[in-house]
Amino acid sequence: MYKHSGSRGSGAPGWVLQRITGILLVVVVIGHYFVMHSDPASGHTYAAVLARMHHPFWKMFDLTFITVGLWHGLNGTWGIFRDYKMKPAVSLTIYGIIILSGIAFWVLGVNTILSF
Amino acid sequence: MAYQPKPPDGWLKTNLKYNKHKGSWAWILHRITGLGLTAYIYVHIYALTTLTQGEQAFDNEMKLFTTPVFKVLEWLLFSLVLYHAFNGVRIVLVDWADGAKYHKKLLTVVYGLGVVLFIGMGVLMFREPIANMFASLR
Repeated sequence: MYKHSGSRGSGAPGWVLQRITGILLVVVVIGHYFVMHSDPASGHTYAAVLARMHHPFWKMFDLTFITVGLWHGLNGTWGIFRDYKMKPAVSLTIYGIIILSGIAFWVLGVNTILSF
Repeated sequence: MAYQPKPPDGWLKTNLKYNKHKGSWAWILHRITGLGLTAYIYVHIYALTTLTQGEQAFDNEMKLFTTPVFKVLEWLLFSLVLYHAFNGVRIVLVDWADGAKYHKKLLTVVYGLGVVLFIGMGVLMFREPIANMFASLR
């Protein structure tokens, strides 16, 4: 069944989405760094996070950020593995690890955001 | 389709033997920084789960993350972000615009813009130690 694992379909939708999410992340990640990590005095107390999380905008922002960031990172990682000829069992194991860990950490992140 | 046999020198040696020009290094760096950033997003998500354990747990953790060692690591991580972001834009320009005609010039822009913003971020992050350094010179 997975004899040609990784070669089913052309992979074009993933390729296009990788570029679209990438363009979004260029703006968002560099912006995130300047907003959150450039001022040593700002934003990193529990009170500051609580205040920010009261705005639905920042909740939506963080949910989008986690979803798009994880997907782009893991789709890229799978793209690297796809370049190598792997035995089906190895390929399936790596794909499984990527999918399962991706879902697990997405749930972990979403749980943190929605706990406010 | 049968699996192709290993190259006589093994995969690693064969890969290392290829001639590498600017573009090959850009490609290699893009993959390494991409894997690094993906690993980091896992760490980032996990580290922030202390937010669910209340104020004290989170503020204690932030005390560790605001020590000089972590501040420097935070700054160095930005270099991965900058390279991957700007080289990513370069890839999109090559794929969707006329980037293939000037991809080497774009690479110079990628590195140049990256260095400028990296130093800029360093100045912002370490504004206090830098100010103290100059104050002691006076």
